[in-house]
Amino acid sequence: MRQRIGLLGLGFMTPALVMVLVFFLIPVVMTAVFGFTNMGTATGISGGEYLLTPKIVKQLEIRGEFDKQSLTALSSNRYQVTEAGLAKAASDGLKSAYIQGLRDSLLGREYSSKRDFERALKKIKDRPRKVRALKKSAEYFSQSILNRRYLTDHEFKTALAATGVQLSATEFDQVLSASYTGWIWTTDNFTNMFSKPDTWVVAFNTLVYVLLVLAFNIGFGLFLALTTFYLPSGQSAFFRAVWLLPRISPPVLYVLLWKWLTWDTGFISTVLGWFGVPAFNYMLGSVGSAWAVVVLINGFVGASLGMILFSSAIQAIPKSILYASEVDGANRWQQVRYIILPQLRWPILFTTSYTTLSLLTSFEYILLSTEGGPGNTTNVWALEAYFTALNNYAGNLKYGYGAAMALVLVTLGVLVSLLYLRLFKFDELVARPKIEN
Amino acid sequence: MRILLDNFTKKFDDVMVINNMNLEVRDGEMMALLGPSGCGKSTTLFSICEIYQCNGGRILFGDRDVSNVTSQHRNVGVVFQNYALYPHMSIFDNIAFPLMVKKMPAEQIKKEVHKIAELVHIGDLLERKPSQLSGGQQQRVALSRALVRKPDVLLLDEPLANLDAKLRLEMRSEIRRIQQETGITAVLVTHDQVEAMSMCDRIALMDHGKILQVTTPNDMYHNPQTDFVAGFLGNPPIAFLDGVITNGQIQLKDSAIQLPLPSRVPVQPDGKIVRLGVRPEYFGNQAGIELQGQVSFVETQGRENLYDIRLGNGAVLRSIQPVRADAGLGDSVSWPLDTEQILIFDDQGQRVA
Repeated sequence: MRQRIGLLGLGFMTPALVMVLVFFLIPVVMTAVFGFTNMGTATGISGGEYLLTPKIVKQLEIRGEFDKQSLTALSSNRYQVTEAGLAKAASDGLKSAYIQGLRDSLLGREYSSKRDFERALKKIKDRPRKVRALKKSAEYFSQSILNRRYLTDHEFKTALAATGVQLSATEFDQVLSASYTGWIWTTDNFTNMFSKPDTWVVAFNTLVYVLLVLAFNIGFGLFLALTTFYLPSGQSAFFRAVWLLPRISPPVLYVLLWKWLTWDTGFISTVLGWFGVPAFNYMLGSVGSAWAVVVLINGFVGASLGMILFSSAIQAIPKSILYASEVDGANRWQQVRYIILPQLRWPILFTTSYTTLSLLTSFEYILLSTEGGPGNTTNVWALEAYFTALNNYAGNLKYGYGAAMALVLVTLGVLVSLLYLRLFKFDELVARPKIEN
Repeated sequence: MRILLDNFTKKFDDVMVINNMNLEVRDGEMMALLGPSGCGKSTTLFSICEIYQCNGGRILFGDRDVSNVTSQHRNVGVVFQNYALYPHMSIFDNIAFPLMVKKMPAEQIKKEVHKIAELVHIGDLLERKPSQLSGGQQQRVALSRALVRKPDVLLLDEPLANLDAKLRLEMRSEIRRIQQETGITAVLVTHDQVEAMSMCDRIALMDHGKILQVTTPNDMYHNPQTDFVAGFLGNPPIAFLDGVITNGQIQLKDSAIQLPLPSRVPVQPDGKIVRLGVRPEYFGNQAGIELQGQVSFVETQGRENLYDIRLGNGAVLRSIQPVRADAGLGDSVSWPLDTEQILIFDDQGQRVA
């Protein structure tokens, strides 16, 4: 009987567990996994091939660890007519008379330059008439390893050995890894991240962003909750509805209104223009005004959450306690300071922690408004990660690096939540109320 | 300081709750506002401290018209039914709050708080939080907080309603002691006639927003002005009989029984419809006219028993008397009624005599 109930419970919980796994745990795990790769547009996300290009040879040369001669040998182009090359050419539909001619007169011969080989080809009867086709047919017999794709490392090693270039074991491995086009495991993302000065600029921006918007959210939310609490109920309902509008309006439209308000041909500039103030783009015109706009855009959206939570918490304070403070002689300010605010401790702390975490990862309003500009001055961590991994002008999307940035954010979020839990004694706060009213 | 309600009127939106009430609470007196739920007694109390604003008439403390003075400046102490202690403050801070908001120096606050805490016997609880106190202790804290700034008047809103029976008895005498020691003018709102009678100098009995009678507990018990007042006071409650004046005597309805009018009552015209109020202690104890009936209910109260006696016409009289063995449920009895003590009301419920 016990056993059956246990299984039943597990059965009921399974959907929830699957959801948690699929939608919460796996994304974090995948982020962590991607963070330790160099995946990107260049590498793709599936496996890679081996491709040695002249550019890679040049890079190896710059490293200076290679014998110059072997590098030259690697990049030199050698031609030899082989049965394999002939078979390939036949299967690609070259004329059989031409192939037969090649086999008869050139099989086994080696040429150290393309020009010599092409000259030899021109002597074959039944050769292609067009020069271009002739040049193309030469490529079937190129023995160079350059610009050829090898699907497995075995193929590549064989080809490398077949060139006859003498390489030491380390040189061999270096060529192998430099030629690999797929992604590899690496911690370079993190070392690069922390050594780039831009990273610290973005980190500082994020700190400023979170602190300013947090302060605005909590402060303005409290202000709205308190002022609407003291208004007659009809008016307070109206004002609360008005302050909810930013939250419920579509972000794109909301930001569009801000653009309309702040652009150099927008509302503010137009009105100020009547008083002789020159037009100014408040959203992107200066660092200060850009920050002000970013904080206000996010702040007005976030303040409504605080307002609702604080309002309901104030409503939950027993009326008699407020009455008592009034007959005890407390004026409005003293009532707020000594009676209401202390009892809002829990909602304030909750909103603070919740808002901190959501601000750390939020970038949508910045993306829609300033896009991190002017310059890089309002760029925040999450936005930078988004640009790096998913959307940038150059088109070289670095999934691995972006995931590494996101992983830093996740780690930071977990640390901050733990800190909040410790600092605010969460378990005490969510305990049962001690006074019944 | 005396409190005077002069044509005091209170409306909630369009609902008239109190209409032109007049009441004077004398200096140093403890007055009970007694009445059933919804009679307007708490509304009156909260208007005295301006938690509710009055819609008409005047409220005077002493000779000062405070009708337009906010609650912060009325200098009243209020004890709420649920005590309304500030849960996040220590007991000391709770009591000190009225002084703290007045920006009294810390040294003096400490002195005052300790003084009042001694008076109310909670000197050893000052470090605790409200949640760590029992109901009776919270009550004492609420009382201290109301008294600490020496208010002109003390208002108590059902202060004993949340206490258990034993604590209620204890706090009843405690509140009265503290009120008498401080000599403060106090108003007590209650629906419990025992509280009102035992704690207060005078009782104002209210119903439907009107004061029916204001007098001392003793006088109100023995000389109620209306049948409502008579019915509200007394436990076990008074029993009523319907009758009509016939030949200078009272003829009970649907019955052959005739009762003489009490000697203090002037002659009444024949045919006048009356209601007789008979308190249970005057039936079945002293000598008087014997009435036949059947025991329809017995309630044991320990030293005494409460009997309901159904008369021949279906009316029920109550009797409270020392426990006796000869009257069980369903028995026929013949017990004396002390007709001198009958209260007589007219058909409107007004006292005739």
